[in-house]
Amino acid sequence: MNALYSGSLAPFAVLLWPLLIGVVPVVPRWRDTALRLLPLAPLPALAFAMAGAPGAVVFPDLMLGVELAAGPDSALLLGMTALVWAVAGWYGAQTMARGREAGIFTGFWCLTLAGNLGVYLAADIITFYVAFAAVSLAAWFLVVHDRTKAALGAGRVYITLAVLGEAALLTGLMIGAAQAEDLQIATVRAAFTDAPLGPLGVGLLIAGFGIKAGMVPLHVWLPLAHPAAPVAGSAVLSGAIVKAGLIGMLLLLPEATGWRMVLVVLGLLGAFGAALWGLTQRNPKAVLAYSTVSQMGLLLVLVGAGSQGVAYFALHHGMAKGALFLCVGMMMLATSPLQRRAVLGLAGSAVLSVAGLPLTGGALAKLAAKEGVGDMLSLALTLSSVTTTLVLGWFLFRLADLPAKPAQIPQWRGLFAAIAGLAALALALPWLLWPGAVALPRGYPFQPATMLEGLWPMLLGLVALALARRLALPDYPPGDVLVFLPTQKLRPVLQLPVGRQGRLYRKRPVLRLLLMCKLAERWLLHWPIAGSALMGAALAFAAMVWFAV
Amino acid sequence: MTALVAGLTLPLLAAFAAIALPMRARVPAALLGAGLTLAASLWLAVVVWQTGPVTLSLGGWQPPIGIALRADGLGAALGVMTALVMTAVALAARHEMAASVAGPRAGFGFWPLMLLLWATMNAAFVSRDLFNLYVVLELITLSAVALVAISGKAEAIAAALRYLLFALAGSLLYLAGVVLTYAAHGTLDISLLAARMAAPSDALALGLMTAGLLVKTALFPFHVWLPHAHSAAPAPASALLSALVPKASLLILLRLWFEAMPDLAAPAALLTLASLGAMAVIWGGLLALAQARLKLIVAYSTVAQLGYIFLVFPLAGGDGGAQVWAAGAWTGAIFQTLSHGLAKAAMFLVAGIYLVAMGSDRLSDLRGMARALPMTGFAFALASITLMGLPPSGGFTAKYLLMTAAFASGQWAWALVLAAGGLLAAAYLYRPLAAIFARESAVAPRAIPRSWQAIPLGLAVLSVALGLLSSVPFEFLQIGRPDPAAEGL
Amino acid sequence: MTTALPVLLLMTSLLPAGVTFFLAQDSHALRNALQLGGAVLKLALIIWMLFAVADGAAYEAEFPLAPGLVVLLRVDALALLFISLSATLWFLTTIYAIAYFGTKAELSRFFGFFSLCVAATTGLALSGSLISFFIFFELLTLSTWPLVAHKQDKPSLRAARVYFAYALPGSAALLWAIIWLESATGPVLFTEPPDLSGLDPAALRAIFALFIIGVGVKAGLVPLHGWLPAAMAAPAPVSALLHAVAVVKAGAFGVVRVVYDVFGAENMTALGVGVPLAIVASFTIIWGSVRALQQDEIKKRLAFSTVSQVSYIVLGAALASPLAMIGGLVHLIHQGLMKITLFFCAGIFDERAGVKRIDGLNGMGAQMPWTSACFSIGALGMIGLPPLAGFVSKFYLGLGALEAGAPWVLAVLLASTFLNAAYFLPILYRLWFLPLASGAKGDDRAPGLVVPAVVTAAATVGVGMLAASPISPLGWATLIVTQGYGP
Repeated sequence: MNALYSGSLAPFAVLLWPLLIGVVPVVPRWRDTALRLLPLAPLPALAFAMAGAPGAVVFPDLMLGVELAAGPDSALLLGMTALVWAVAGWYGAQTMARGREAGIFTGFWCLTLAGNLGVYLAADIITFYVAFAAVSLAAWFLVVHDRTKAALGAGRVYITLAVLGEAALLTGLMIGAAQAEDLQIATVRAAFTDAPLGPLGVGLLIAGFGIKAGMVPLHVWLPLAHPAAPVAGSAVLSGAIVKAGLIGMLLLLPEATGWRMVLVVLGLLGAFGAALWGLTQRNPKAVLAYSTVSQMGLLLVLVGAGSQGVAYFALHHGMAKGALFLCVGMMMLATSPLQRRAVLGLAGSAVLSVAGLPLTGGALAKLAAKEGVGDMLSLALTLSSVTTTLVLGWFLFRLADLPAKPAQIPQWRGLFAAIAGLAALALALPWLLWPGAVALPRGYPFQPATMLEGLWPMLLGLVALALARRLALPDYPPGDVLVFLPTQKLRPVLQLPVGRQGRLYRKRPVLRLLLMCKLAERWLLHWPIAGSALMGAALAFAAMVWFAV
Repeated sequence: MTALVAGLTLPLLAAFAAIALPMRARVPAALLGAGLTLAASLWLAVVVWQTGPVTLSLGGWQPPIGIALRADGLGAALGVMTALVMTAVALAARHEMAASVAGPRAGFGFWPLMLLLWATMNAAFVSRDLFNLYVVLELITLSAVALVAISGKAEAIAAALRYLLFALAGSLLYLAGVVLTYAAHGTLDISLLAARMAAPSDALALGLMTAGLLVKTALFPFHVWLPHAHSAAPAPASALLSALVPKASLLILLRLWFEAMPDLAAPAALLTLASLGAMAVIWGGLLALAQARLKLIVAYSTVAQLGYIFLVFPLAGGDGGAQVWAAGAWTGAIFQTLSHGLAKAAMFLVAGIYLVAMGSDRLSDLRGMARALPMTGFAFALASITLMGLPPSGGFTAKYLLMTAAFASGQWAWALVLAAGGLLAAAYLYRPLAAIFARESAVAPRAIPRSWQAIPLGLAVLSVALGLLSSVPFEFLQIGRPDPAAEGL
Repeated sequence: MTTALPVLLLMTSLLPAGVTFFLAQDSHALRNALQLGGAVLKLALIIWMLFAVADGAAYEAEFPLAPGLVVLLRVDALALLFISLSATLWFLTTIYAIAYFGTKAELSRFFGFFSLCVAATTGLALSGSLISFFIFFELLTLSTWPLVAHKQDKPSLRAARVYFAYALPGSAALLWAIIWLESATGPVLFTEPPDLSGLDPAALRAIFALFIIGVGVKAGLVPLHGWLPAAMAAPAPVSALLHAVAVVKAGAFGVVRVVYDVFGAENMTALGVGVPLAIVASFTIIWGSVRALQQDEIKKRLAFSTVSQVSYIVLGAALASPLAMIGGLVHLIHQGLMKITLFFCAGIFDERAGVKRIDGLNGMGAQMPWTSACFSIGALGMIGLPPLAGFVSKFYLGLGALEAGAPWVLAVLLASTFLNAAYFLPILYRLWFLPLASGAKGDDRAPGLVVPAVVTAAATVGVGMLAASPISPLGWATLIVTQGYGP
């Protein structure tokens, strides 16, 4: 018998804690109030990440042998994820209605969280896959929480793509594992290079992770699901959950080169295309969703280009985007013009950071990202600030137009402070991490050339925004590609003609045969026939014997 | 030796008693005779098992002057099967052929006829003389025809007359063959004939005898007399007719080909015999499928089941070297004979019970009988399993042995017949089974005592047990087995 | 003891069967005690044997019938895998059935055949020779027929007829194959693979095809699966038994035996019959799922799902690589656990809420939380959601397919995952998300029905969560493959 585990239990506790909170609503008496526990769920993870994500653990008997350990990129993302979840959780705990459905929400929120943390901690592909499945599939409950038609419709698209992604991912992992004959992530990753079906496996992984990470053209669920989910849900979806796809690519895509071009091209397409398409949206959450697709596009470009700053960039984006989504929620709850202005200001600062205003966290992230990606891509990254400014500026206008819902909540200030803290961290944390995470000199962001390079695209974007405001922008429903797909026509395909089961033979011919037999039997009964048959038989036997002997 | 004689004389004595004794004592005397004969048959089997074939020359005269009786494994096994069926029929007939149920004539006539049939059957199993066998066959035929006609209904008498006509034609052919043989060799003893000098008339003699015996065995296409004769008789009589009577002529056929004249086995003739058997299997099955009355279904099933046995002619000796046994096909054919006898008797006895209970054996009238009389339903189902050849029944063992021989000798087409026959049997027996086991029970049937219901169940269980405990019967049948059974014709 | 134990195992269900037939209709307590006693005893024997076999003990009992017809009962690791599944699930199904039927009519008959059916399954698992396998295979057919027909209404009788009409030709094919093979090789024992050199490849291919047709009818291989959805007319415990333990499993088990113990993986590959079998299995997987998608009745949908899922086992055997075989074998257990959970729940929905059709399930999640939760676990396991049971099998099958050089199987698994999701997720959606129809009500305050479902659902989670432990089904399957069939 193996030992139950070996190593430090800390990574395990990080995952177990949210799961334990997740089962609280199962008890009927606690169901209604379980929502209050939401902000507590990611706290151990936060502490663990701040401690540098130390320790590893192996459970030989659990599943197919669970191994938990955080890599360097993972620790950064783990901390960001925990932070976003904590703030969003608090927001949810304060603003959402209590009741049975809140219980369900709590349970799956915690499951999603555990999965989201798990993808950073998994060291074997099965644990990774389980965590990924948890974060993908359980998040469906966050999307459909409101049970509105839009939410359920978005949920349908989401679950379809999520299951597709799961299937693609599993297949890809199998291809790697079959070659590696091992389940360690590192070994599997290395095995793709030699596997006979390696390219297919990598392709499937890209598709699987791409769905999660909002890669064009698999991003269609994202602009549907994010606006439909409750604000807290959108915040974690856009800030944290999409990063699960990213970490998957970082952990599992091999060093080979073939797939990189694909990521770069699709990433660029997303980075610019989605940002521009965001202008066709009226719902600020939808605009933000397209912005997420765009930012994730940039991240994909970075992954494809082999940039070292992926996690660093993702860290900033996660927190900033989480804060922006929560701002939308705050705006809906803002009752006084002062509050509205405060929210707009907060959102504005986050927007500036994301757009890459020099000396903000976002600018640092971009600088770090540009390192070692080549001139062309570097230019593209610079240019992306134009579209980012454009779409997020458009978001601010949409946010300002957002009608308030007259719902007074007592902790408005506290919540605002928390969100402001999150945004502030987005702006500041990159500074703190700069020395450790980026191989650039400390003063690099202060260099005038660097500042100028960050500034001019923003100005260009502002000009474009001013122009765009004068245009009559179209108003399309979210979901771009999907809206133009003839989904209704697919339905009859499933309704194949249904034959009756278990019919082995047709009755009529059999009955006719039996009737003929009966007639023949009567005929055999006639004595002339029977008698001559008898004599014939006797003589025939005699003849046969005669001729044979 | 005593057992052999007892098996022949006890039923005859009982038959006389059933005629001569006063009314009240007749049935008990007949039952006593049945019990004693059963004991004698079992005893004979034990003796054969322990000491090998038992031979008896009447009056101490050796053949060719005298007539020899010899009980080998085959004869003794058939004797035991006959005794079991007869005893069961006698027990059932106590209820069914009581004068109050069946009328005074049938109530009187059934017992002596049955016992006479038993005595002559036993004689057929041990006789080694072709003429003696002719006499025995005639006696069997006459008592069988009388049993068909015993109810006195017009339909029964017509069927009996038709049976008589066919049977007499068969007898004549057989007798002609016997005469030719005697003229050529001066002996009719089977063992002596095996060592005879071949004569030119042998071919004709064998052809005539074979054709005659085929009629009596009701092989396709000479089976037409059988279904109506069997279904027109009272059920206990049907049981005897279907389970036992054709087996006597069949045994003679086997002895003729395997023991008396194996040297005349022409491949074409063997093929023809087996082909007729195969056609019987299919034809009987199809016609059974087309019947609406239980007794007719069961009767046509006899036609089909008898067909299997004829596959032995080309298959005998075809087991090949890879097998752990010899004479598989031959033993399989005998197994089929035995298990069919037990199962078929059980089925007719069940049909008899239904006739008494419901006054009809139409399938539409039998719906839900299993609910009213569960033991009969169970008995019919078990017997069906044997006839379908499903394991672990005797029918399965028979088919398994025959099929193995077919494959081992490369004649797998016969295996096709076996498989198709099994499926047909399943099809035609499914209908009565479905009816019997249907949910509804339209008319409350007449009460049937459980002891009566248990009789067919006992037979059906025996037919299954024959497969479950097949190693002893298998060994038993090898006692005194003719060489061609293992080596092929 | 070594000869007595297999017999004793058989007797634990054969004796209750024999006695139950003759019990009066209303002696419920005695009958239930007999049934449960037999089940518990069998379970205890098997647990004892598990330890003994792990220590290297061997059990064997032989009954010669006619020469060449040897009934051989033998305990090997594969037998033990199947038999522990059937014994465990039999025990649970017995509890369920007792609660399900209560004091309805004709129970002595039902439980008699019920036990007989399990006896046949036990015998099938323990069969050490081809012919004893066939004998118990037939016994299984015969003993399940009355169970299918139990309600004796028109659909049941039709179902029973259809079942017979499929099963018997299947048996004929199987017998044909066995005899054809044995006529050249002599009696085949599973311990020593027969020497196939006496037969030419064409004949061997034909024999293999006949074998697969024979066992494939029971395993529900398309196009031999027609009886399975029809048999849904039977009461819920019967469906559970049919789909998870006895009949369908017997077919799948038969495929495994034929492939590995009669032909052997190398011979199968050399004959080139593995790939066609894998294709048939794959087609079955897809076709079953597509048909399941079209069904409105819960049990019908589950039935087609069985058609699809059982072919995973066949697929595993056909691919003939060690990992695929592990996947197939472990699915034997996993599918059993999941499917029996689903059927238990379907029965509870029918009994406690009167719901037979999928659209009747709207909002039942709140009314019948335990049942709905168990159903959800079973369904998610079927889809292959990690870390539930179905995922483990699927993962191993996928790896095995790659190992065997048949990557196209991945596409099949992928498609199947999708279709499974497509026909199970809407049910879950209805259960938990849609509002209760007016007038609909149900509850699951029936411990005899719910507890077995909860146990199997928990097992579905457990065998997936603890798959890597040596005592899990996966551990056992790995042991079987590495010890018995390894290269």
